[in-house]
Amino acid sequence: MNLALLYLLLLKGTCTAFAGLASLPVIHDTLVTQYHALTDQQLNQAVVITRSTPGPVGLYIVSVGYFVAGVPGAIAGWLAMITPAFLIIPLVHFAGRHTDHPRVKSILQAVVIASAGLLLAASIPLARVALTDPVTVGIAAISLVILLTTELDTLWIILSAAVVSLSASSLGLIAGFG
Amino acid sequence: MVGQAEDSIAGDRPGLGEIADVFARYGNFTLGGGSATTATIHGQIVARRHWVDDQKFSLCFALGRLTPGTNVLAFCTGIGWLLRGLPGALVALLAASMPCTLIVIVVTALFREWQDNTIVQAAIHGAVAAAVAITAKTSWTIAGPIYKRRERWRVIIIGAAAFGLYVGLGVPAISVLLLAAFIGALLPVAAP
Repeated sequence: MNLALLYLLLLKGTCTAFAGLASLPVIHDTLVTQYHALTDQQLNQAVVITRSTPGPVGLYIVSVGYFVAGVPGAIAGWLAMITPAFLIIPLVHFAGRHTDHPRVKSILQAVVIASAGLLLAASIPLARVALTDPVTVGIAAISLVILLTTELDTLWIILSAAVVSLSASSLGLIAGFG
Repeated sequence: MVGQAEDSIAGDRPGLGEIADVFARYGNFTLGGGSATTATIHGQIVARRHWVDDQKFSLCFALGRLTPGTNVLAFCTGIGWLLRGLPGALVALLAASMPCTLIVIVVTALFREWQDNTIVQAAIHGAVAAAVAITAKTSWTIAGPIYKRRERWRVIIIGAAAFGLYVGLGVPAISVLLLAAFIGALLPVAAP
């Protein structure tokens, strides 16, 4: 895929999202569904990678770029990740005094809520690819409960999930994905 | 413009090297996502070094949340701008994003390399299952703070509508977000 196009497609995702993973539905629409440049499995792996390494969650876009076009793709992803950050300069400079404007707040709040609904929706195709047997379904269910009820860092959840899956596989409980 | 940014900051004005140092060290290597990173940076630039006061910090934090893309990066850029104008913004953004980007590239490359190893694949399979839970939970992380205030019905209606439009009717994500912005403009104003 042309790097400039990849950058613009990723930018379309990052520019329309207001939190780390909120761009995921847009990225899924364009790169997986429209362009077939990325698989659901790779998108899942990108999320795993950024949740297991330090730094903001929005970094998954770098991983996505790498999966699509190697190191140049990752650089396109990095640029798409940092470009929207410059928008804060005019905000700080000119609009700083209007952030309390109720109408502005109301618009942003609706966008934030919609992005949460979309993110939940985006986890469905990811689940279809990742949850293929009772062990992985169990891992996802237990992880979700832990995430909702504790403050445990996601790194530990990912590591534990990897260990559980590894043990289950060596005991022969998971078959057919080797 | 740079002149005005300079005027707005009293106290110790750091050099570009110091800005790079603080944002590279505290912007990249904090696990636990954006809020943990912001808390760490607060400790450094407000409490310890007095580069900005609490008010400017909160302004950048709030505006960072309103800026599209990764909130923490916008926040760092905003602080950099206040401290040193455009060069400060650029240095803060590069320092806060390059080291962690390199780590992600290396880990992604290793992921690809190890894809054919059965043992590693079993581990990745489990980790990816956990990522599904993380993705679903992040949606609550985004909507939860609004739900806990008085706008409960907004979260339920707009959230469910966005979910339904995307899953049920196949409306593209961008259209859903733009529609939400439009509806947000028509709704009675949100509680303070």
